[in-house]
Amino acid sequence: MARLIRTEKEVEGRVEEVWLVVDEDPLEQWPAGPLEAVGRPAPRADGLARARGEARYTADVRFPGMLHAAILRSPFPHARVRRIDLAPALAVPGVRAAIGPGDAPELDDRCAYEGAPVAAVCADTFRQAREALELVEVEWKQLEALLDPDDAVARGALLEEPRTTDRGDYERALAAADVVVEATYRTQTVLHNSMETHQAVCRWEGDMLEVYISTQYVWGIRQEVARTLGLPADKVRVVCDYMGGGFGAKNSAGEYTYVAAELARRTGRAVRCALTRREEHVAAGNRNATIQRVAVGARSDGTIVALGGEFVNAVGASGWNAMTEGPMTMLYDCPNVRTVTYGAKLNLPPAKAFRAPGFVEGTFALECLLDELAAKLELDPLELRIRNHAERDPGGKEYSGKQLLECYRRAAPHWERRHEVRARSDDRVKRGVGLASQVWFGGGGPPSYAWIRVGSDARATVVTAMQDVGTGTRTAMAIVAAEELGIPVDHVTVAVGDTLRGPYATLSAGSSTTPSVAPAVRAAAADARRQIDELAEQRYGRGAAFDVAELLSVLGNAQILGTGSRGPNPTGMSVLTFGVQVAEVAVDVETGEVTVERVAAIHDVGRVINPLGASSQVEGGIIQGVGHTLSEERLVDPSSGAILTRTFDAYRMPTVADVPEIVTDLVDVPDAQLSNLGAKGIGEPPIIPVAAAIANAVRDATGADVRSLPITREEMLRALAEARKTRGAAAAV
Amino acid sequence: MELLRPSSLEALDGATPIVGGTEVVPLLREGLLATDALADIRALVPRGIDGARVGAGTTLAELEADAQVPEALREACRLAASPQLRAMGSIGGNLLQATRCWYWRLDYPCRLHDGDRCHAREGEHREHAIFANDFCASAHPSDVAAALLALGATVRTNRRELAVRELYRLPSRDDRRTTTLERGEVMLELDVPPADASSYLKAMDRKRWSFPIVGVAAARRGSVTTIALAGVAPVPWLLDGSLDDATPLPGTAYKLQIARALVERARSSVA
Repeated sequence: MARLIRTEKEVEGRVEEVWLVVDEDPLEQWPAGPLEAVGRPAPRADGLARARGEARYTADVRFPGMLHAAILRSPFPHARVRRIDLAPALAVPGVRAAIGPGDAPELDDRCAYEGAPVAAVCADTFRQAREALELVEVEWKQLEALLDPDDAVARGALLEEPRTTDRGDYERALAAADVVVEATYRTQTVLHNSMETHQAVCRWEGDMLEVYISTQYVWGIRQEVARTLGLPADKVRVVCDYMGGGFGAKNSAGEYTYVAAELARRTGRAVRCALTRREEHVAAGNRNATIQRVAVGARSDGTIVALGGEFVNAVGASGWNAMTEGPMTMLYDCPNVRTVTYGAKLNLPPAKAFRAPGFVEGTFALECLLDELAAKLELDPLELRIRNHAERDPGGKEYSGKQLLECYRRAAPHWERRHEVRARSDDRVKRGVGLASQVWFGGGGPPSYAWIRVGSDARATVVTAMQDVGTGTRTAMAIVAAEELGIPVDHVTVAVGDTLRGPYATLSAGSSTTPSVAPAVRAAAADARRQIDELAEQRYGRGAAFDVAELLSVLGNAQILGTGSRGPNPTGMSVLTFGVQVAEVAVDVETGEVTVERVAAIHDVGRVINPLGASSQVEGGIIQGVGHTLSEERLVDPSSGAILTRTFDAYRMPTVADVPEIVTDLVDVPDAQLSNLGAKGIGEPPIIPVAAAIANAVRDATGADVRSLPITREEMLRALAEARKTRGAAAAV
Repeated sequence: MELLRPSSLEALDGATPIVGGTEVVPLLREGLLATDALADIRALVPRGIDGARVGAGTTLAELEADAQVPEALREACRLAASPQLRAMGSIGGNLLQATRCWYWRLDYPCRLHDGDRCHAREGEHREHAIFANDFCASAHPSDVAAALLALGATVRTNRRELAVRELYRLPSRDDRRTTTLERGEVMLELDVPPADASSYLKAMDRKRWSFPIVGVAAARRGSVTTIALAGVAPVPWLLDGSLDDATPLPGTAYKLQIARALVERARSSVA
């Protein structure tokens, strides 16, 4: 039965109190460990279709007469359009319509970053549209660009009021500490670079707007587009069948959707608006750079008594002020914490959420700081973390489930390898081992719904308007339904990604798809299973054993229909994911080359539904983390603010040759308080500790403190030179 | 745009010649090169390896796998680009690569584009030059050219024979070009004389598929070792003096440090 509750809702660290309609979840959790289907490795249900090119992505959507749009963007980081003339573009053969500032949402004559959308043209071919854009006459007024985040904070150019945490008495605790370590850490701007660029195809079918879009949230797009265009939500249909990745950058509609919708309205045709890879590198979002000035105070036995920091998020022209202080306020049992977080507003492209936003950056600073503390205390870094383990959430709540100590226990053998790894060092190549812990959300929550139908062939179709952003959630849903129904996994088809043809499901962000939707799928399957049991009782008598296939064969065209919904999260409890990673590196001290040789990843994400899918998420997170740590950086011309890295030769993501050996170990204990599955999300946790684990391994190998990402050769050589200087000074004393 | 298959190099008629197209096509797409016609000259340029003679149309993939090829050249090919690009790209085209300087690639009015300032010198230049960087700080990206310089290779074109060294010129106020090839001149064959020992070492931002931060080629004949570098000057750089003569920019000082280490390693590997 549905009921109305007042509860806290969290998405990637943003918590708000909301009214929620929830359905009770009467199902008992399954026992821990592998079952018939759940907990057993299953290949992607859609793997072959993807590999064969049969899976239809938004990029594959084509309609008869479809037009192609191209967007005119500001070439300056801060400018105003004084005058714009679209007429020359409209005269180009093949061009069907052109729109300028104010003609569609997000097309604006005030440009606060390079790449800000100003105008758009659609034509029979993309090439015609691009060529027509060149002819649009624009008179620009260039304005002063603000590019430096500290400068923005000093001038009060902020996105919102600074966010603060104040727990206990930080100043006093720091003054009383036996040991204090202070340091400044910096992280760079990196780009999502999903395989599929941001794009949408819009067409009007009567009074209904159809939006085919590469998105992480079909329902969010439906609501946003309806609200922005003044349409009833039911008159917007949003479709995303297969999706080529988002990593947080595809949670909202974006100018490309509004441009396509408006041009479709004007031309009466379907219009496709797809960003090029170069646009993607400039104007499709990024993980913002940070400056983190942090301090820790501890007693000589390693008990942390004070943690504090000033965090500056270099957000860009708009976006949100991610929870970079989150790890510091959440990971350790520390009574005295003070943080302040600034969202610096700059004339740079807006940040968007990127796989554990804030926590990737904040964990780099916190977990490196902890190793610097361990070095000063001459304490084992793993021991230091165990000593400061939080039994209760530092915010005061109980944890719904926490297996971090078990993660530490399982990390110990990997950590123990450091003696043997270090011993393989020589004069040129130094080797070392480092570790870092991780805290993140990932519990998901209501609402999410699923329908299921079972036919006379004993095969089932699950319908839920969630989206599989490429993570394998489609397969996870099939596994859960198969388990509950007692049929093979490949007898379950999962239909997703269409707001017209399925019930609401959550957004695919915050590692929430599986923990939110899979319990609803199980509930729907249980509903169907209950009906099947009732039929069985009528046919075979109460309690008699029966064969599902044989029973259902009598259905003919009749179908069993089940519905299910995600129940509430436990009230007043802290639902989090935890983990620890141990990295092994080799550093060439003459050339600054850092090689990550091995990463062991031990994570607690509750019940594991598909170990194969989960380990591929871990591998993906670590590979993306290696890029973030060593080679990726969006570079900006310091005087003009222009983006310099717009192609894959300049913006360096890791290649397969950069991938270390990855050992995945998931604790796989269901969270007893959370849902009928006890499963949490695995999308984001694996990227969180990567940078700190690698940087700590570099310190272990070389004695050099790397406090700035990426650890390029120049950063590594700089840190080595500084370490030599410090050691020289120490030796001189 | 037309794609021509001329019957002789004399019939090029202003068309831009391509073999693999891995250099020219991206430049066309970026709008950095404009042409009305491309000429596919694969049938007109020798391809293959015969002792010291290497056809200019030979792919990097063929060179990296052939035991007749001196080690330095083989390694330079193996460490260049990606397998896909090496399967298409020819050694001749590789020598004529344009710089990866982002200002040049983004069409800033820099000195290589006939403008009046080097944006990299005052701007973001971590990938730029440590030698001959006063007029233009761009870095030449060819690994292969450094190997050929160290090996003392020569080139035969449809018009003349010249040392690989003479293929390049530093850009100047009067002439912004970085090669000496004339219009209509096409490389046909290289002569790569054997060495007693040779090697190529490369520092990159990732393990594969990156242009060199610093590439170092060494070739020894008897007691004489020749060193050449990639990624350190607007043209491939024959080290006839000392690394102490380098003039690094604030953001490229680290390159000199890497060059010192790699030159020493390359020297000892051919000793």
